[in-house]
Amino acid sequence: MPEPRELTDFDHGVPPVAVSLTSTRVNPTGSWKYIRPLFQDKVAPCNQGCPVGIDIEGYMNLLRENRLDEACELLLRENPLPAVTGRVCYHPCEIACNRAKLDAAVSIHAVERMLGDRALEAPLPEAAPRTRDESVGIVGSGPAGLSCAYHLVRLGYEVTVYEAEPEPGGVLRYGIPEYRLPKSVLAGEVDRLRALGVQIRCGVRVGQDLPYADLERHDAVFVAAGVQRSRRLGIPGEDAGGVLPGLDFLREVNRGRRPPVGPRVVVVGGGNTAMDCARTALRLGAEVTVLYRRGREEMPANREEVEEALMEGVKFLFLAAPVAVRASVHPHEDEPLEALEAMFGALEGRTPAPQVVGLDCVRMTLGEPDASGRRRPETLADSGFFLAADTVLTALGEEPDLDFLPGDVRRNGPAVRVNPLGATSRTAVWAGGDIIEEPHTVAYAIGSGKRAAIGIDRFLRMRAGEATDGVDLRELRLGPQGNLSMTRWREDDPVRRAEPVNEVVRFEQLNLAHFARAPRHLDRFLPAEHSRRTFAEANHGLRPPDALAEARRCFNCGVCNACELCLIYCPDVAISRGDGAGFTIAYDYCKGCGVCAEECPRGAITMTREGL
Amino acid sequence: MKKVLMGNHAVSWGVKLARAEVIAAYPITPQTQIVEELAEMCAQGELAARFIKVESEHSAMAACIGASAAGVRTFTATSSQGLALMHELLHWAAAGRHPVVMADINRALAPGWSIWTDQNDTLAQRDTGWIQLYCETNQEVLDTTVQAFRLAEAVDLPVMVVLDAFFLSHTSEPVDLPEAGEVDAFLPRREARLKLDVDDPRAFGALAPPGVYMEMRLRQQEAMDQARQVFREVDEEWGRRFGRRYGAVERYQTEGADTVLVTSGTVTSTARHVVNQRRARGERVGLLKVKMFRPFPTEELRLALAGVPRVAVLDRNLSPGHGGIFAEEIRSALYDLPAERRPRLEGYVIGLGGRDVTPAVIGECVDRTRAADARNGAPAREDQWVGVKP
Amino acid sequence: MSQMMIKDRIPREELLDSGHLACPGCGAALAMRMVLKALGERTIVALPACCWSIIAGPWPQTSLHVPLYHTAFETGASVASGIKAALEMRGDRETTVVAWAGDGGTFDIGLQALSGAAERNEDFLYCCYDNEAYMNTGIQRSSATPWGAWTTTTPAPVPKSHPKKDMLAIMAAHRIPYAATATVAYPDDLIAKVQKAKHVRGTRFIHILAPCPPGWKSEDEETIALSRLAVRCRVFPLVEVENGERWRLTLDPPVAPVAPYLRRQGRFRHLTEPQVAAIQAQVDARWAALQRRVGEGG
Repeated sequence: MPEPRELTDFDHGVPPVAVSLTSTRVNPTGSWKYIRPLFQDKVAPCNQGCPVGIDIEGYMNLLRENRLDEACELLLRENPLPAVTGRVCYHPCEIACNRAKLDAAVSIHAVERMLGDRALEAPLPEAAPRTRDESVGIVGSGPAGLSCAYHLVRLGYEVTVYEAEPEPGGVLRYGIPEYRLPKSVLAGEVDRLRALGVQIRCGVRVGQDLPYADLERHDAVFVAAGVQRSRRLGIPGEDAGGVLPGLDFLREVNRGRRPPVGPRVVVVGGGNTAMDCARTALRLGAEVTVLYRRGREEMPANREEVEEALMEGVKFLFLAAPVAVRASVHPHEDEPLEALEAMFGALEGRTPAPQVVGLDCVRMTLGEPDASGRRRPETLADSGFFLAADTVLTALGEEPDLDFLPGDVRRNGPAVRVNPLGATSRTAVWAGGDIIEEPHTVAYAIGSGKRAAIGIDRFLRMRAGEATDGVDLRELRLGPQGNLSMTRWREDDPVRRAEPVNEVVRFEQLNLAHFARAPRHLDRFLPAEHSRRTFAEANHGLRPPDALAEARRCFNCGVCNACELCLIYCPDVAISRGDGAGFTIAYDYCKGCGVCAEECPRGAITMTREGL
Repeated sequence: MKKVLMGNHAVSWGVKLARAEVIAAYPITPQTQIVEELAEMCAQGELAARFIKVESEHSAMAACIGASAAGVRTFTATSSQGLALMHELLHWAAAGRHPVVMADINRALAPGWSIWTDQNDTLAQRDTGWIQLYCETNQEVLDTTVQAFRLAEAVDLPVMVVLDAFFLSHTSEPVDLPEAGEVDAFLPRREARLKLDVDDPRAFGALAPPGVYMEMRLRQQEAMDQARQVFREVDEEWGRRFGRRYGAVERYQTEGADTVLVTSGTVTSTARHVVNQRRARGERVGLLKVKMFRPFPTEELRLALAGVPRVAVLDRNLSPGHGGIFAEEIRSALYDLPAERRPRLEGYVIGLGGRDVTPAVIGECVDRTRAADARNGAPAREDQWVGVKP
Repeated sequence: MSQMMIKDRIPREELLDSGHLACPGCGAALAMRMVLKALGERTIVALPACCWSIIAGPWPQTSLHVPLYHTAFETGASVASGIKAALEMRGDRETTVVAWAGDGGTFDIGLQALSGAAERNEDFLYCCYDNEAYMNTGIQRSSATPWGAWTTTTPAPVPKSHPKKDMLAIMAAHRIPYAATATVAYPDDLIAKVQKAKHVRGTRFIHILAPCPPGWKSEDEETIALSRLAVRCRVFPLVEVENGERWRLTLDPPVAPVAPYLRRQGRFRHLTEPQVAAIQAQVDARWAALQRRVGEGG
């Protein structure tokens, strides 16, 4: 930029003509303003919506710049199991995603899965340095237990996880079917945790193989034993042969067994366990009908799970409920002789138990909303019908089995009561996962594990006399309703944030003029006619380039991603690139017009009153 | 080399010798031949200049200002209505300190339409800040045109070279053309002190607050004052090089004169004839030709006229509501003389709109002046307007 | 890409300084900034009377890092002609000469000089930043003021009852090599056009819509939004014309109705629904005419 030469040869100080001698930069035109812009990073709704408490927007922004390793690192700070959640989480983040109001939500799960798979391919990490003297015992190696263990190990503690089953993973290993979550993926994630220093003792059922009291050699205990008991149908005849709790059925299959199911399977229930049961039974060769007392819209199951089940050929019978199980001692008269012989052989001469042959059902209709807000199903008079079934799988919800816990761990019905940091009523005991009053999802479980890790860390530090008072839980949340951020707890955010505030950016705060519509990339699925007969993974996610394209669909709500529109549109040349990633506003020249805040596509600039 | 040239072409040849670089002009009678000739010179490659054939005189001056601001030698020519249209930009050129040279052919202003000479077009631009030089002959036109560039660029002020419609513009006279090389030595290529320069980026002409506007005008006035001396030097150097000099004013037969005529433009030549006649009859009549009107040659006029009993100022112009403009200006210049050396000054309005100024008209002015001694008080209008029908 | 990342297409160079005297949210200031980015430092600006006479700063200041000549209202094109001629005479064929004028200096008082220069195909870039009235003198109507707009000389009971002059068509009719419209809401389009124009010889004309918060009675922060809406509702289509013949739409974003554009400006507050409908009809008719031109030229 050329600068004028100095002109000093004027006898009288004033040149002969009005020739400029200086720049307008001598005018502090910033004094005109009464409001001023402030770069103020806020919280993206996906981040608040994530029960794990992941900085989703943050890794999307890194991916936009093709910084995959850093994106992976940012993700792993909060989520120890991204390859798992990328597959099985029902992604409430995508429901929160502002982009859904423009065209379609960003396919966050697919991006997370891509990053998770990338982390699986990376060399195993070195063990986290042990910086604390204390040790923590964890009951259950499901997502909550693994999450808590992971974060505590990274915080410097010695951690031992006690797992009743022969393999770690809990519901990830024994609940979720292989076609949704390959065992190899879970194993990879667990390997990384073990490499970091998490010790997992499998085949140790607390209260049976190990007295609970022995756990208390640890300085703190986190209980995440999960749910094992399926709710009963509560109708006559349900003890008949061929009526199985859905969870037991899934556990058997996940153990590698192939329990015999009849050609006609009826699954009772409308939740995710029901879908897993139905699709698993389908893969075992059955014809499957899901019986649900409300309508499709009321199903608690994830919508995509329902769609996939439908595509694979699962039938649904809505607005119908069983009133009795009908059974017979000779159910399989038309079965091949070999099958009957096998069955009777197994009985070893005992009287054969009655076997289910079907369900007596009634039609339902929906009445007024009940306490849950859903419309209450009511029986239609004279609507009885019979539904033939060789196997009935029940999926009406599950309950924990917590008999091993000391009595002073207070309950609320079947669930353990915890405070906002996951602490139970018993000192030094925390709880999480499906045994507390939260939605029974993998994401909530992982979030509860992290929350407890923070609670345990805080507790142990306080006990050791370190100053951790004054920690404001609200500040640890991603948004007022979000889950806790380990990064915030550790105060080591690698993302430079300008004047962060814990507000969530609403759709109305975005400037949509700067976004073009772009269709969401759809996951790749095995063809339904193929997937319905195999336990191979049904959903293959997105190819990495498509996942990166999805990251570029992200609005980066509330967080400056250096798009520079503020700088480009400033009529007063008052915004410049600062050192590093941020921007600088020259308030001496900013007139407070507000164009930058108005044009910011993502609500990352706030206009504030001058002088405040 | 001698060449027979019309006054208009004498201008063109002066511009060619001065090697003007940008010419912007618009046709108007009786100036048109100047730019036709220049267009031809450019077309033939005899003059390396960009000729911008603008759509108005206003744009002609604007283009000259732009070019001059960018540091080159610029020229335009106009007359009468065209000059009036330029008015706004005449101020711009002067206060912007752009050494534009312009030839104006004195032509009366409409309505009714007139293409014939009088000085109202240029004198109406008196306060625009231009140097004004009035010419009597085609030789003077050519010489003054070249000198004008040297003067303009020395003081960063624009110069108007003024000549009468038809009596000079369309009248052919033998003109001595200086050698181009000698003119180049007299007038080298323009090197502007300040100009639009991408390597020294500045703004020109920004808002001038009351705190500086006056000082800028004072600089302009000082440059005008300086122009008097610079003109003297330029004229002397021209004289040394080419043997002709003109002076801001020229005395003719003023030795011992009791009555001195004051003229400008071609009226001067007729007045010389009248002076010769009167002198031959023993009357002590003299003549003072005023070439430079701005800056006003106050000192020269005082020197020439102090102690002269009677002065008759012949004005081919009119400031309605006041009178002849030269007369009023000269009267004002002589006011500070001691009363005993202060002449009696009579002003005459003559020759408007190309009305012939014959020896008889000038003779009547002489006679009325000599008779005015008997009159007390201000003259009546019939005593001031000569050659006008009752 | 779903987010329009334009920063890579915007030159980093800043040839406009802060501290200039434009009102907050001034579209004209932003337009200058963008145009200079596109042209670079080898540029000379001729600036006839307009808001920018003030924005550029009083003596002894300048807000530009390129030479600037303040000149009389009607002389943008003629002064630029002279500057260019002078540069050519001194062998400089590289420097771009820009006449930078408002709508008054272009549509009205400077039109004669501009037409003359365009007919002569003078080698300069003429930028008209159009804020649709005499804003520097306090919002008087110009021939760029749209039908129905309030100004101090077209007060609300009798708003402007004549349509805006079609300046681009006038310039195209001169068959100059390049003429275009642009606006500050689409800086990449604007800069691309200026850069294209920079490398064309002859008269180039760019008509830049520049919202004026005080004159349009709009919020300071809405300058970009309004210029974007002007394009989207087709009040101000983004086009370019080569040699007066080849008309082309350079951007055609999703169309919007004209009412929201009008309703966000106080100068249109008095308009009744039928009047808004009448404006919509005018816009539709002009768009249809433009489509025909684009069809013929393409």
